[in-house]
Amino acid sequence: MSKLSFRARALDAAKPLPIYRGKDMPDLNDCVSINRAVPQMPTGMEKEEESEHHLQRAISAQQVFREKKESMVIPVPEAESNVNYYNRLYKGEFKQPKQFIHIQPFNLDNEQPDYDMDSEDETLLNRLNRKMEIKPLQFEIMIDRLEKASSNQLVTLQEAKLLLNEDDYLIKAVYDYWVRKRKNCRGPSLIPQIKQEKRDGSTNNDPYVAFRRRTEKMQTRKNRKNDEASYEKMLKLRREFSRAITILEMIKRREKTKRELLHLTLEVVEKRYHLGDYGGEILNEVKINRSEKELYATPATLHNGNHHKVQECKTKHPHHLSLKEEASDVVRQKKKYPKKPKAEALITSQQPTPETLPVINKSDIKQYDFHSSDEDEFPQPRLDQANHSCENSELADLDKLRYRHCLTTLTVPRRCIGFARRRIGRGGRVIMDRISTEHDPVLKQIDPEMLNSFSSSSQTIDFSSNFSRTNASSKHCENRLSLSEILSNIRSCRLQCFQPRLLNLQDSDSEECTSRKPGQTVNNKRVSAASVALLNTSKNGISVTGGITEEQFQTHQQQLVQMQRQQLAQLQQKQQSQHSSQQTHPKAQGSSTSDCMSKTLDSASAHFAASAVVSAPVPSRSEVAKEQNTGHNNINGVVQPSGTSKTLYSTNMALSSSPGISAVQLVRTVGHTTTNHLIPALCTSSPQTLPMNNSCLTNAVHLNNVSVVSPVNVHINTRTSAPSPTALKLATVAASMDRVPKVTPSSAISSIARENHEPERLGLNGIAETTVAMEVT
Amino acid sequence: MAEVGEIIEGCRLPVLRRNQDNEDEWPLAEILSVKDISGRKLFYVHYIDSVNKRLDEWVTHERLDLKKIQFPKKEAKTPTKNGLPGSRPGSPEREVPASAQASGKTLPIPVQITLRFNLPKEREAIPGGEPDQPLSSSSCLQPNHRSTKRKVEVVSPATPVPSETAPASVFPQNGAARRAVAAQPGRKRKSNCLGTDEDSQDSSDGIPSAPRMTGSLVSDRSHDDIVTRMKNIECIELGRHRLKPWYFSPYPQELTTLPVLYLCEFCLKYGRSLKCLQRHLTKCDLRHPPGNEIYRKGTISFFEIDGRKNKSYSQNLCLLAKCFLDHKTLYYDTDPFLFYVMTEYDCKGFHIVGYFSKEKESTEDYNVACILTLPPYQRRGYGKLLIEFSYELSKVEGKTGTPEKPLSDLGLLSYRSYWSQTILEILMGLKSESGERPQITINEISEITSIKKEDVISTLQYLNLINYYKGQYILTLSEDIVDGHERAMLKRLLRIDSKCLHFTPKDWSKRGKW
Repeated sequence: MSKLSFRARALDAAKPLPIYRGKDMPDLNDCVSINRAVPQMPTGMEKEEESEHHLQRAISAQQVFREKKESMVIPVPEAESNVNYYNRLYKGEFKQPKQFIHIQPFNLDNEQPDYDMDSEDETLLNRLNRKMEIKPLQFEIMIDRLEKASSNQLVTLQEAKLLLNEDDYLIKAVYDYWVRKRKNCRGPSLIPQIKQEKRDGSTNNDPYVAFRRRTEKMQTRKNRKNDEASYEKMLKLRREFSRAITILEMIKRREKTKRELLHLTLEVVEKRYHLGDYGGEILNEVKINRSEKELYATPATLHNGNHHKVQECKTKHPHHLSLKEEASDVVRQKKKYPKKPKAEALITSQQPTPETLPVINKSDIKQYDFHSSDEDEFPQPRLDQANHSCENSELADLDKLRYRHCLTTLTVPRRCIGFARRRIGRGGRVIMDRISTEHDPVLKQIDPEMLNSFSSSSQTIDFSSNFSRTNASSKHCENRLSLSEILSNIRSCRLQCFQPRLLNLQDSDSEECTSRKPGQTVNNKRVSAASVALLNTSKNGISVTGGITEEQFQTHQQQLVQMQRQQLAQLQQKQQSQHSSQQTHPKAQGSSTSDCMSKTLDSASAHFAASAVVSAPVPSRSEVAKEQNTGHNNINGVVQPSGTSKTLYSTNMALSSSPGISAVQLVRTVGHTTTNHLIPALCTSSPQTLPMNNSCLTNAVHLNNVSVVSPVNVHINTRTSAPSPTALKLATVAASMDRVPKVTPSSAISSIARENHEPERLGLNGIAETTVAMEVT
Repeated sequence: MAEVGEIIEGCRLPVLRRNQDNEDEWPLAEILSVKDISGRKLFYVHYIDSVNKRLDEWVTHERLDLKKIQFPKKEAKTPTKNGLPGSRPGSPEREVPASAQASGKTLPIPVQITLRFNLPKEREAIPGGEPDQPLSSSSCLQPNHRSTKRKVEVVSPATPVPSETAPASVFPQNGAARRAVAAQPGRKRKSNCLGTDEDSQDSSDGIPSAPRMTGSLVSDRSHDDIVTRMKNIECIELGRHRLKPWYFSPYPQELTTLPVLYLCEFCLKYGRSLKCLQRHLTKCDLRHPPGNEIYRKGTISFFEIDGRKNKSYSQNLCLLAKCFLDHKTLYYDTDPFLFYVMTEYDCKGFHIVGYFSKEKESTEDYNVACILTLPPYQRRGYGKLLIEFSYELSKVEGKTGTPEKPLSDLGLLSYRSYWSQTILEILMGLKSESGERPQITINEISEITSIKKEDVISTLQYLNLINYYKGQYILTLSEDIVDGHERAMLKRLLRIDSKCLHFTPKDWSKRGKW
C-alpha cells in the first residue's frame, strides 16, 4: 500500500454519505490508509480512566463479538440478597392510578416530625407507658421540637416546657432522656442532617458539606435596566413578607397562649369541682402559695422569621432623618443666625441641635448589595425613595419658614439689617423682605463681627479646601458651605435634578469676589458679556467652560427644545382662547402670558431651563465681545426661543419683583433647582412691581455680593451649587439694555422661525412685551 | 515478610480478591487507610490494577500478601489532606517488573497509559510544570504522575495523543473549539480564563477555589483527598435491595459508622436503623417519587422532579447516586437541575430503578448531567432506556444533546452502545430509492436522533463505518456489523414509546434564575 499521496477532504456533516452494504462494499483495503487521516473523536472520558483495562477489555469484546460476553463486563461490587422482611416493612398496597400521577405544587406538609424513633427510644417509651400513656408519634414530636429549638446550645428545661405542650412529668422525663442521648450522640443532631456550609468559607473543602448555596451575586443584564428596579421591588416584597410572617407568628403565639389559658382554666375548674371547692377557698390558698414562687417566663423563641425581624429593624430607618441632620449642620456653619422673631432672642442662638438620630448602618444596607453589571454606582435602593418623602416634608416646613422673619446680617456692607425674611426670586435671586420692629435701633448697632465670631472657627477648617482655585486670595467667603458638604448635598440630590458641576460654583464664587476687586482681570464688562452669551445658549459656537462639554450641552439643549415643544403644544388651546384678548388688550398681555407660563413650567422643564443657563456660564472672551455686538441677532437666531427666553424672562421677573412690604431687595442667585417652585409666585407678583424696576436693577448690581441667609436659604443651599450669580443678574440687565433700543417686540417675533407654532410666538411676544414694558418704566 | 503492625498507609502489596468468574486473584493494591476495630486491624485497599475505585474495600490482614509488601519511600510521602491535586498519598515508586510479577493474573497496564504521551510534548503542554517532578523516563511510570496527565487534559483536552496523527481535521469549522469547550465545561463563560490558570491554581498554594457552578460532574479532581477516595458507607438498604456503595457519598458523618444505612424506598430519606425506617414509614405516605409522572408504559414510569421545588428528595437522590458515581459533585445545591426518575411499578408502589438529572439550562448542549441505573437493575437494559428517554426529551425540545463529561467507563459503554444501535437502526432502515444507493448526511442523523453531531461522528468512527473511497466519504455496513446489530436488537426489548410521553418543555431562561 503506497503512502497517501493526497490529503483527504474534511468530513462534511451536511454532505450525503452513500451507504454501501454487503456485496456492494468496496475492498476495504482501498480505504484503510485513508481512514487514518480522520482523527479519533474524544470519548469524553478522563484519559486515565479510558485506558482502564476492564474497560478496554469490554470495548474490545464489544467490537469483536458485537455483544458483551459475561466475563468481559466491568466488574462492580455485588449487590446483596433481597430483603426478606420487605413486605412487613412496607405494609399495604398501592394501586396504580389510571391517570398520570400529578402532585400539587403547594401541598401543605402535614408537619410530621422529622425525628424517627429508634429502639433505644422504644425502651424508654415502654417504661414511660407504665405510668402514663405516650404514643410514639407524640414522643417523636417532642424530640423533634427539642432538636429543632436547640442549635449548639441545648434548650433548657424551662424552654422545653414552653416548647412542649405536655404534662410536666413527661416533659421532665423526655427532656432528661433527650439530654443524655444527645450527649452520647456523635452527630450534631439526633436528626441526622447533611452538614451545612459555614458562611466563613471554612467548610469549602469539607467533603461532608454538600449542597452549598450558589452564592453567585445577582447579575443583572446590561441591556435590561429594569432588572435593578425589579430587584428593589423584590427586596421590598421580601421585607413585607417577612413582616407578615412576624405578625402571623405573633398571632399564632397569642392564639396558642389563649388556648393554653383556656385549657388551664378548664383544668382548674375541673380540679376545683373534684375537690368540691365551690367557694373558692382552696383556690385562694393555692394562689397565695403560688405567688410566693418566682414566676419564670422566658419567651419561647420563634424560629421562623426570627432573622427577618432583625433585619427589619435595622433597615427601617428612613433616610431623611440623616438628611435633616445634614441640613441643620449647614445652618450651624452659616454665619448669619436666623432667629425667630421673638423679642427676647437677640443675637445668636444656636439652632436647636438635632436630636441624635439613628444612623443607618452601612453594613445593613450592604446585605442587599448586588453588583450591577453596569460600571456606575447604583444607588442604595431605598435611599432615593426616602429622599423623595423627605423633600416633601421639608417643603412643608419650608412653607412655614418662608413667612418667618429672622434677624439677618449682610456680609458685604457689614451690617445687621434687623429682621428680615428671605424669599427666593425667579432665577434664584434671594429677596429679603425686611420688617420693622421695635428692636430696630438696637439691632442696627450690633456689630456683625460679633455674630460672625461664633461660627468662624468652624468655618476656617473647610476654608482651604474650598479655595484651591485661582481666587484663593479673597478671604472673604466664609459664608460658603464646605466643599464636602456641597458635594454630599449634590450627591444626595443627584437623581432628582440636574445639577451643575461644582466648577460652576467656584466660578460664581470667583466672580463674586472679582467684582469687588477692581484689580482683577475680570471686570464688569466681561460679566455683562457673559450674560449676553447666556441669552444665546443655543448657539453652537459657545465654548463652554466649567466642565460641561459642548456635546453635553447640545444634547441638553435638544432635550430642552423638545420639552418646550411639548408644553407649548399642550398649551395651544389655552393660548388660543386667550389670543383675542391679548391682541385687543396688549397691556394685559404680559401678565396673562406670564401667568400662563408659570403654570406650564413644570418642574422638569424648570430644571432644564435652569441648567441651560448654568451650562454656559463663562464663554470665551472674544466670543463674548462679538456676541455683545450682535446681541439681538443672536436672540433672533435662537433655536428654541421659548426655552431661553423663558429663563431670561424669569430672571427679569426676579429682578423686578418685589414683595408687598416695601423693602430693600437683596438679590443673590442661589439655586437654579429651586426655580421651579419659585417662578409661579414671582410671575404673579411681577406686574405690580414693574415701576420699581430701575432701582431694583441697580440695587442688584451693586449689592451682588450681599449674601443673605435665612432658614429658607439653608434648605436651598443644601441642594444646589450656585452658578455665576452676577452673570445671571447682569445677563438680564445687559440684555434688556442692549435690546430695547434696537429691537422692538414685533421685530423679535418676525425673526423667529416661521414654522414655529402660533402659541410659541405668542409666548415670545409676551416676553418681549414685558421686557419692553420694564425698560420703559 | 513484614508484620501486620508495620503496615502503614502507602504500602503496596498483593491482596486476595475474587473475580467475577469466582476465581481468586492477587492484584496489587495500595493501603489507603488503617483502622482498628475492637483490636482487629482493617486495611482500606485501593486496587491499582484499575484507576477506578469501585472495588476498593476494607480487608483484614489475612487477605494481604505480606511477603511482597513495598513500603512507601520517605521522600515520596506527600501531605494527604491539603487538597493538592493528584496527591495520591504516599504512593511508592513503582517498579514495573516487580509489580507485574506480583499481581498475578491481572496485569496492570500503566505503561500503556503513560506511553501514549511522549515526554517532550508533555513538558511543553504544562506551563510551569511541577518543579519536583523529575524529568526522567521513570517518572512516566509513576502512578502519581496522574496529576501531570490531568494538566495535559486541561491544556489540550481535544488531543489525546498529541504526538501522532496528521492534522487533517474531521470538522475544520468548529471541531477543535467545540471539543475544547466540551472538555472544559462551564469555563467558557469566563472571558479571560485561559487553560493555564488551572495550572497556576494547582501549583501555587494548593488552595483550590470553589468548583464551577454549572454542571454536575467534576472533571478535575482538585478536591480529591483521602476522605473522598474511600467509600464511607458500608451498605445501603433500599426497599427490597441491599446496595454496596462504590464511592464516597457525603451522608451525615455520624451515619458512616453504621453497618447498614436504611433508606426509605420512596422518599429516600436516610435512617439510622431499621426501627427508624419502620417509624418513618408510618409517617411517609409516598409510594412514588414526589414529582409529576410524565411517561408511563407498562410498569415503567418516569417522574420529573424539580431540584428547586423538591429539595429534600433531590438531595437524597443525589446522595444515593453519589454512592455509585465517581465524578458526581454534590458541592452545590440542586436548584438548577431537573431529575427524571425511572420507576418500575408493582403493587407496593413505584420503585426507583434509575434516574438521570438534567440542567434546566445548559450552555453546552448537555441533555444529561448524571445518569445512573441502580446496581440491582444494572445490565438489564434499563440504562439504555434512560438514555433513550433523555434523547426523547431532547426530541420534544427540538434540540440535540449530549451527556455531560467526563463519562465514566460504564457511561461510555452504555452511550456507545445506545448510539451505535440508534444510528445503525437508521442506516439499515434506509431503502434505496429508484435503484440508487441510499445516502444520508451526518446532520440528518443528528436531527432524527437528537444525538449531537460530534457523537454521531465518533460513533461512526468507533464502528468503523466511515471510509474514504474514490474521493468521498462513504458509510460501509459490513456483514458482521449488520448481524451483530440485529442480534443486539433482539435482546433490546425495553424501548421508550414516544406516544406515552406527556412532556412540555419549559423555557427556564424566562423564569429568572431557575
